Amino acid sequence: MELDELKEKWVEHDRKLDQSIRLNLQLLRETYTRRAKFALWRLAAMLAAGSIFMLVVIVSLGRFIALNWSTPRFTLPAIVLDLAAIAALAALTAQIGLALTIDYNQPVALIQKRLETLRKFRIRYTQAIILTMTLTWAPIFIVVMKGSLGLDVYRLFGIPWIVINVAFGLAVLAVGIWAFQKYGGRVNQRFLRDIAGYNLNAASRFLTTLAEFEKDYSPQERSSIREYSPEE
Amino acid sequence: MTTPAQERFQSLMEDHKKILYKVCRSYCRNPGDRDDLAQEIIVQLWRSFAAFDERVRFSTWMYRIALNVAISFYRRESVRTRHVVPGSEHLLEAIDETENRSEEVQLLYQWIEELDPFNKALVILYLDGNNYQETAAILGISETNVATKISRLKETLRKKQEVQQYGTR
Repeated sequence: MELDELKEKWVEHDRKLDQSIRLNLQLLRETYTRRAKFALWRLAAMLAAGSIFMLVVIVSLGRFIALNWSTPRFTLPAIVLDLAAIAALAALTAQIGLALTIDYNQPVALIQKRLETLRKFRIRYTQAIILTMTLTWAPIFIVVMKGSLGLDVYRLFGIPWIVINVAFGLAVLAVGIWAFQKYGGRVNQRFLRDIAGYNLNAASRFLTTLAEFEKDYSPQERSSIREYSPEE
Repeated sequence: MTTPAQERFQSLMEDHKKILYKVCRSYCRNPGDRDDLAQEIIVQLWRSFAAFDERVRFSTWMYRIALNVAISFYRRESVRTRHVVPGSEHLLEAIDETENRSEEVQLLYQWIEELDPFNKALVILYLDGNNYQETAAILGISETNVATKISRLKETLRKKQEVQQYGTR
């Protein structure tokens, strides 16, 4: 049966739907009043919680840098962490800003491209956070010990200990990436699939499908397609 | 208490509930997911309703939002959190859903399910009688592209049916 013949059946189906489907008005009202409000609140709460946490980290690190300005072995790791925190805050704000400005009343191809680009950005952000946490855990330990307990990690454990820990962090990262890539495909958790890069690959594939869908065919391609469908 | 905007929104939703049903039915196999998607579409429609431009046909506006939400929903890679408790009331209730659907329409839905999310949208718009210009405006591709793709989809369907017939002989 041709698609045009099926279209007639579809029109018939459409007529029957008038009688057979019922919109639950009470649930409709609850949905657009309660859930619309909840969706906005959730986004606002995410923005507030993430930004407040990052701001607290940035301010605390700034205070730590000012207090230990004369001792570079403490200020340098703190500056590295502060820069990472500022970059994370900027990326978080950009993500939420992009998410808030997406207008669903725009053509499908345009919106889906923006949404998928945002998804890729979010995945890269998650990967960057994990990478930074793994590589900077030694500076985090140095700053936290000094800032909260007044302890000097360099004196307590020595430089070799710090070097070994950085090397250990890198080894954990390498093993982690290998394990995620080997076994990550079997898990359904978004976070794990983000780190393993599965979701990034899926996002890239989706963008390729979209690009293919948007692609305008050449007149030759069009005529070759039309050969198969003379009624067109 | 219902405001005039809410009353108008409800009335438009009642008039266009079939769009909601067909989009949800085409993008979700599972009835629980369908109801969840319907609710997400309603939320997004309501949030955009204040900016609705009366010069545009309501159905065109609704298709854009519904299809955008449906494709995003379909794309979500995580296990979804259900908002609908099994056995509870549903937003869209179909009475004798399967009895009212012919075998051809069932097959059509099955074929739509197999398509990628963009071609799904294209087929729904085509079957619902939107012309190439309207379809192009909703999807954000050129009219010639719409025409070519529909032609290609017709051919795909024809070949699929040929294979099925040949297989059953």
